[in-house]
Amino acid sequence: MHSSGYQLRKLFSEAFSNLFPAVPYAAPESSESGDWAVEVKNLAVQIKSQNSPVFSNVSFEIPFHCRTALIGPNGSGKSTLLKTLAGLVPDYSGEIKLFGGEPRLGRSRIAYLAQSPQLNPDFPLQLKRLVQMGTYAHHGWFEECHHADEKVASALKLLELEDLVDRSVHTLSGGQLQRGLLARAAVQGAKILLLDEPYAALDTKSREIVENFLFHKNNSFTVIMATHETADSQKFDRVLEIRDGSLKTTHACAGHKNHYA
Amino acid sequence: MRGIKIIMLSNFLCAFQEDFFLRALLALFLSGISAACLGSYIVLRRMSFISTAMTHSILPGVVGAVLLGFSAYWGALIAALLTAAGIAWISSRKGSSEDSAIGVMLSVMFALGIAFMGLSHSWRDFTGLLFGSIVSVSTEDIGVILGTTGVVLFCLRLVHKELELASFDEEYAHLLGARPGLLRSVLLILIALAAVASVRLVGALLTTALFIIPSTTGVLIGKNLKEVMFWSVLCACGGGTLGLIISYTFQGIPAGAAIVLGCAIPYFVVRIKNA
Repeated sequence: MHSSGYQLRKLFSEAFSNLFPAVPYAAPESSESGDWAVEVKNLAVQIKSQNSPVFSNVSFEIPFHCRTALIGPNGSGKSTLLKTLAGLVPDYSGEIKLFGGEPRLGRSRIAYLAQSPQLNPDFPLQLKRLVQMGTYAHHGWFEECHHADEKVASALKLLELEDLVDRSVHTLSGGQLQRGLLARAAVQGAKILLLDEPYAALDTKSREIVENFLFHKNNSFTVIMATHETADSQKFDRVLEIRDGSLKTTHACAGHKNHYA
Repeated sequence: MRGIKIIMLSNFLCAFQEDFFLRALLALFLSGISAACLGSYIVLRRMSFISTAMTHSILPGVVGAVLLGFSAYWGALIAALLTAAGIAWISSRKGSSEDSAIGVMLSVMFALGIAFMGLSHSWRDFTGLLFGSIVSVSTEDIGVILGTTGVVLFCLRLVHKELELASFDEEYAHLLGARPGLLRSVLLILIALAAVASVRLVGALLTTALFIIPSTTGVLIGKNLKEVMFWSVLCACGGGTLGLIISYTFQGIPAGAAIVLGCAIPYFVVRIKNA
């Protein structure tokens, strides 16, 4: 039974969506559609302030549930590629499909974690609320957020953060915050995780927890992770290397070799 | 000391028997609630300078409206919206930061207000606009303040979760499609509305204090946005009431200034305690 306030917000949400269909926000989408989780053809990205493109003629496919490492030297374009896949770089040429759809904002099945998330240091927020924000991906404009306590508790447990729920996010260590942001992506229901050097701030324990979360066979994520450490790449199903503005596949996803035979 | 306490208490009781005081108190509570809720976002998003520009820039609108003979509230609203549009336009041009755009619009609009006042050849008529004139709050003013407070609170409630998200993690809000730029514009329009409602209370020069001081106190106490808003509203209403009583007791002190000083008391108490 919903309150009259909820009904009113729902009404506003529907009216707003009808009036402004070009303002997508948390549109529901299926987990898996298309032949590949990620499909990129002849992708080229050029930053306006630079003369030469960051990379060009990049093509690759990533199967569902494949964990992919993205390696390359500093400035090779790893972060730009992840941002482009997330829909944060609208000016690109070529074709990108994620779960059969183009990259755009408002896709709940895709989560992107920046190397250094720009969080407002003044904003008072407890860890539980941070993780609850993942549920916003499933509500339209003006709709009240249902806190989805079970989902939140399960994500916090997965990332071993149960004891820190009431802590301010600003008092968490870099590793704990990174785990909190991954828990938010899990609550969001993301199936493709685009991670930009998530290990940079992690100590051994946090790293173990994050690896368990990302690589556990029950968690059916498709992961693309930018990393500097080539030792990390051994754990992945597939490694993509960007160098000198182009991309080469170094070895194929073990579980999906038929795609690359 | 005991004598002062007795005088304050007797004045406190007398004040509540005066119609104008009760109207002033109602106006203060209504404006205080909307200013404190908006102020929480202003302080947490570090938008104090732009809110100061918006509140100061309503002066030419109000003076112009009085000279032309239409409602001062409409004049104030038009001036505030023009300021917001001017800031957005200047800061979008090459080589102009938002900071300098705010500085330019704040100075130009305030100077325009003073020029209009000079043209009217009567500075005295406008002291109430500059410093507030809460004792002359009419029933019509209460209606306007009630309406704007209602609109501000309703809009804040509608976009609460989006504003919270965009204020804390703008990139994630952008990724979810929640349009942080659009939300910022909504916030600026609401600040304009609330500033218009507060101008009669504390004047164009001090309206910004009603947004900033109680919310800064709330930020020092609250552990989350709801707590920040709760304490901000409490400080705005409690501190403002104290200011009104001081103004009533010591009649040389203008009500607007007394309200701002009253709001500053909890801030300094908390600041010193947390130092």
